[in-house]
Order: sequence, then structure tokens, then C-alpha cells
Amino acid sequence: MVKEIERYGLPIVHICTIVPISLTVGANRIVPAIAIPHPLGDPTKTPEEEYAMRRAIVEKALSALQTPITEQTVF
Amino acid sequence: MRLELHRARVKGIRWGSATALAGDGVLQVNRDELLALIREDGRFAGVDADLASPGDRVRIVPVKDVVEPRCKIEGDGEVFPGMIGDVETVGQGKTFVLDGAAVVTCGKIVGFQEGIIDMSGVGAEYTPYSVTFNLVLIFRPVDGIEIYEYEQACRLAGLKAALYLARSAHESGAAADRVETFELPSVPELLSAYPKLPRVAYLYQLQTQGLLHDTYVYGLDAKRLIATIIHPNETMDGAIVSGNCVSSCDKNSTFTHQNNPVISALYARHGVDLNFVGVIISNENVTLIDKRRSSAYAVKLARILGIEGLVISEEGFGNPDADLIMNCHRAEIAGIRTVLITDEYAGRDGASQSLADATKEADAVVSCGNANMIVELPKMDRVIGYTDYVDVIAGGFSGSLRADGSIEVELQAITGATCELGFTRMGAKTL
Repeated sequence: MVKEIERYGLPIVHICTIVPISLTVGANRIVPAIAIPHPLGDPTKTPEEEYAMRRAIVEKALSALQTPITEQTVF
Repeated sequence: MRLELHRARVKGIRWGSATALAGDGVLQVNRDELLALIREDGRFAGVDADLASPGDRVRIVPVKDVVEPRCKIEGDGEVFPGMIGDVETVGQGKTFVLDGAAVVTCGKIVGFQEGIIDMSGVGAEYTPYSVTFNLVLIFRPVDGIEIYEYEQACRLAGLKAALYLARSAHESGAAADRVETFELPSVPELLSAYPKLPRVAYLYQLQTQGLLHDTYVYGLDAKRLIATIIHPNETMDGAIVSGNCVSSCDKNSTFTHQNNPVISALYARHGVDLNFVGVIISNENVTLIDKRRSSAYAVKLARILGIEGLVISEEGFGNPDADLIMNCHRAEIAGIRTVLITDEYAGRDGASQSLADATKEADAVVSCGNANMIVELPKMDRVIGYTDYVDVIAGGFSGSLRADGSIEVELQAITGATCELGFTRMGAKTL
């Protein structure tokens, strides 16, 4: 999905827990996520803490989207 | 550590007045006594039992686990330590095996459920449990039970039934017709015994990803393990237990942990062309840091043991491919040659990328089959369990279950079809 959309000229950020897989399949901008069953949250935390984690990842992803890169980059 | 497996061949299964292995090799089971034992667990609203033999026109679905009936007859502890036995170290002494029998656990665990065993027809070719004489337990939970509790109740029930069958048969006077001995001494003794043979270990990955994706070692949830060493004989006494059945083609049942072909093959070649130094178990957790920790630790153990060659088996697919590849890469960088055992999700035509991850060091890989391959399973005369969920199980799709009772599914729905320990009925040989 990441590669096919990017092929049409839209930059993509892949938010992904298992970064090595994302690197292998060829994503260019990668933002690490938290865990496979809960990539943008953590059920052991309070809802406020989860909100903060989620916001931090999304903001990092938005900033990665605007960052020029010349090779596969993990943010 | 030395273990004798006393194998009594089972040639049939039937209900009878006492649980015993009859003179003709037929395992006779007292149904009421067995059910009373399983129903002691108050978490079941109902438990039923059924029998299925090779060649029967029977489908068992949805299968949770398969267990080989065994019991200790000499030596410390009891089979399935930490589950129904104490946590005392197993793997020594003598263990009685009902060779050819299996306990299959079946029933609704969560909303939908995996695992098909056909006892005849095309499907039977793909599952190793179509050639065993199966005692099937079918469970119904009490209302409102928490699902982790219910999964545990089902898991323990299969183990209890397996121990009950073996113990009763042995006490009834059943004698073994074959005794196999497995002995592997301490590491210093191994190293001095075969100084010229390559030192080989087995890195045994266990899936540990949550409900119905878990594995237990001496009763401990393996996601909480750091990679460690286990004696191969301990696995034969049920030290590793499955809680794992989603996409059941490549999940290791308790039966396969008891009968791991990688371990028996390494034993067979020990002292011949390799020195089998030991088994390292590691897990397949759901965060990257856990995967990196497990991999770093497992390869470090191999280095401490002076291992030169490592056989690595995966359990499952997708993100566990990353564990497999990470283990391979780290070991190879450390100078340890590796062979990987996996299966493939290469699309229905086999043309897609087989694994989610890759590394150039993975240059010796054994494939146990393409789980996306479609098979058409004919209607059976009898279904043990429920087919309600065939459309939504992994490997099934809308329209999988047809009105005439036949099923079109991917191999991944068939229990043990692409088992990554190689415990399958199909294989290939280079001539």
C-alpha cells in the first residue's frame, strides 16, 4: 500500500511497529509505533497518557512527511 | 539427562467400561469417567466427547489443540509441568506414550475459531492428525466467563484428558512395544566426546502474542521469558504447551512440541556428523524492543555455548518473520551459520513475496508449504464441533462454506498443514 500510493507521487509516512519489516518492504519514511496489537496506544496507560503518546506519534509523522529525504529514513 | 519413551501402539479407539489398552491394541475409554474428570472444572457449562478414526468421513472444527497421551512412569515430576504437574524438572527416567492416539480439543473459544481436521478425503492429506485415533473434547463455557479464563480451562482440559488416558492405560497393564532412549549429557561432556564434529544447536521460536497466540514453558507464559536453554528431553515430557491456534496451519500444537522432528533429527545425527549441543528457546513478542532483546539474548547464548551452526524454526507468519530474520542476521554476523525453517504466504498463485522480512544472510531456508494455497474439502458425513464460523476464520472467506457442506479454504485453516517444525504428512526428497 505504502509503495503503491507513493508510486503516484504522494509522499507516505509508514507508522509501523516492526520497523525491520517496513525497511525490507521498501517504505521511505518510517515512524516507529508502540506495539502490534496497539500501534498508537497502550492499554496499560491512562487515557490522558495514551492521548499524549498518540499525539506525539502523529506529530512526528506529519513532520516526517515534510522532511526532504534521500534514502530510507526512520524518524 | 536420559529419557526412555515407552511407546505402546494404539490401533483403534472405542468407548468401553474401563479405560485401558485392550489386547488387540484398541484404546478403550470409559466416557463417563473421562467426562466427570473434565467437568470438575466449573468453567464449563458443558463438555461432550466424541471419537474419530483415520478414514472416517468426519470433520473436526474448530480445533484448539492436539495433545499426545503420555505419563511419567519413572523419574521426577509429571508430564505438562507447571500446567497440571508440579514444576519439577522433567525429561529424565521413563515416560509412557500411547503412540497413535491423540486428544483433540474443540469448541467455541472466542467469537470465531480456527482449525479443521478432516479424517478422510483431500483435507486428511494435509493434517498430521488424520492418521491418529482421536478422542475429541467439545466445550461450552459458562455464561459471562472471561475469555482468558475460558482459554485456560480448555487448554488444561486437553492436558488432563491426555494424562488420564495414558495413566489409565498404563495402570491397566498396557506394555510398550517399542522403547526409544534419548540421552544428552552436560555441555563439557558433549564438547569432549566429539571434538571434531561441528557444534550445532536448535533455536526454537515460540509464538507469544496474546490470547490464542500464546505458548507456555513449565506453566510460565513464554512472552515473559528471556531466551533460555531447555534440554531436548524436557520437550518430550510436555514442558512446552500450546495455547495457540489462530491460522492453525503453522501453529505448534502441544502434540508437535512433544514430538518435535527437528529435535529427533538432531538427536539422530548427534555423534554422526554433528555435535548436538542443545536447544535455545526464544519468543515472538509484539513490540520491536522485545524482539530485539530476545534475538540478542538467544544469539548471545549460542555464542557462549560455542555454537557453529544453528537450526532456527519459526512459529506463525507475518511479524514473526522479523524474529526469524533478526535471529538469522545476528547469528550469521557472529559467525554462526544458520538454516531457517518457515512456511510461505506467497499468495494463492505462489507468486508473491513469501515472507514479510528478508536478509541476504538467509541463504539456507526450508519451506514447509504455501499457506495461501486453496483446497476444496468435500462434505463429510459427520461434523464434530461447529462449522458456523468457516467463512470468517483465517484462511476462510465469504462463501467458504457452501450449502452442500463442502468447504473451499486456504491451507492456513487446516490444523498443522504447514507446520514449521516439519511435522507434516507431505514432504519432498532430493533424489
